[in-house]
Amino acid sequence: MRSLGQIATLVRKDLLLEWRGRTRGLSVVLFGVVTLLLFSFAVGPDSTALRAGAAGFLVLALLLSSTLALSEGFRLEHENHALEGLLLAPVEPVALFYAKALSNTLFLLLLAPVLTPVAVVLYAVDIGPATLLQVIGLWGLAAAGLSAPGTLFAAMTSRLRSQDVLLPLLLFPLVVPVLLGSVKAIALILTGDPMQQLPSWTLLLAGFDVIYWSLCGVLFAYVVEEGV
Amino acid sequence: MERGSPAVLCTGVGRRFGRRWVLAHVDLAVERAESLLLAGANGSGKTTLLRILAGLSRPSAGSVRVLGRDPHSERLTCRRSLSMVSHRSYLYDGLTALEMLRVWARLSERGFSDDQLGALLEEVALSAHRDLPVGGFSAGMRKRLTLVRTRIESPDILLLDEPLAALDAAGKRLVERWIAREVERGTTVIVASHDVTRMSRICGRGLLLEQGQIGWTGPAARLPAEVEGLA
Repeated sequence: MRSLGQIATLVRKDLLLEWRGRTRGLSVVLFGVVTLLLFSFAVGPDSTALRAGAAGFLVLALLLSSTLALSEGFRLEHENHALEGLLLAPVEPVALFYAKALSNTLFLLLLAPVLTPVAVVLYAVDIGPATLLQVIGLWGLAAAGLSAPGTLFAAMTSRLRSQDVLLPLLLFPLVVPVLLGSVKAIALILTGDPMQQLPSWTLLLAGFDVIYWSLCGVLFAYVVEEGV
Repeated sequence: MERGSPAVLCTGVGRRFGRRWVLAHVDLAVERAESLLLAGANGSGKTTLLRILAGLSRPSAGSVRVLGRDPHSERLTCRRSLSMVSHRSYLYDGLTALEMLRVWARLSERGFSDDQLGALLEEVALSAHRDLPVGGFSAGMRKRLTLVRTRIESPDILLLDEPLAALDAAGKRLVERWIAREVERGTTVIVASHDVTRMSRICGRGLLLEQGQIGWTGPAARLPAEVEGLA
């Protein structure tokens, strides 16, 4: 319970900092929109191909935007060595991890209401409000699956000059199951699910979320303790 | 907290960065309520020693006990008893002074109201800046704000790394009074400072580090002469 209060304090602090530095958040959102736009240019005016690839493009836009958001989130922790200051407080590193991962998930979740309608328009996808909510729900699972390992690797690479290169190199191979699960599940939502496959893909995604959130929480202590 | 054990006990402590030992064979016992002044040239190992005591860095050799406990395996217990002011401010530039204090107070599980936090800001002459982002603060103002953290945490052991750096004359007097009050309260205080003359007036014992090893230890009042002799 004590840790829950500390996590809430840290999440509140992160969200406040995100709000105060909203140009940073805006640039991540714009990056996602530009990515979606580039995919539509790359595929061309073939609306059938665009619709077929919509789920993949949407998840890739999330993945690419997430690397920007994750590295920026940890850069703040190293300005004035603030992370070291947190480690000096009576807070378990695992609480620091869950707070940061939760903040990152919330931030990535906020991309959904912007990027999904943009994808709907660009890729000529025909969906109603109920389907849109389903996509946003799936997006939440995908965001959670990205932000747990993303937070761990962002912490590992945050003090390196080559962070911008290293973070995606480390993160992308590890999140392939999340990428596959979320693309398949969102595609089934967008194009129909006659074989009732959606629950199993959603379960797979949720399963990987649980694994990532458990494992990365344990590993985070080793990353930050000597890394400050 | 183990009764009767010294506040800090270092046995054969060493710290290596690559092949270079920045701290070696440090045997040190600091009793409860004792005040120790660490002096030494740049790179003599003062900050490294404080970081090891704070549990921010593991010793490469030897062992450290803080209030009878291992600062790594019994991390939370040690952190509750210890506070550190470093030359690093640990501040988030986007938060205001009051918000920063709220974060520290909540993480330390100390129930401070905004009025109480405001009163602490008043003590360090920052009450007029309580709602301003700390990103706009000068180095001296940042230092004053980080000192407030020690009051919030109300530790048994206070570690101070160059507490007078970046402060104007009034700020230095304020910090001196602040430390003196902690010493009077019975807090174990370990200060690393280049301003030996000023700090030796507050601390009881002095310790001179030379190339990572204890070169001299004795009454703090004699430390300025020892440092002078070294120069």
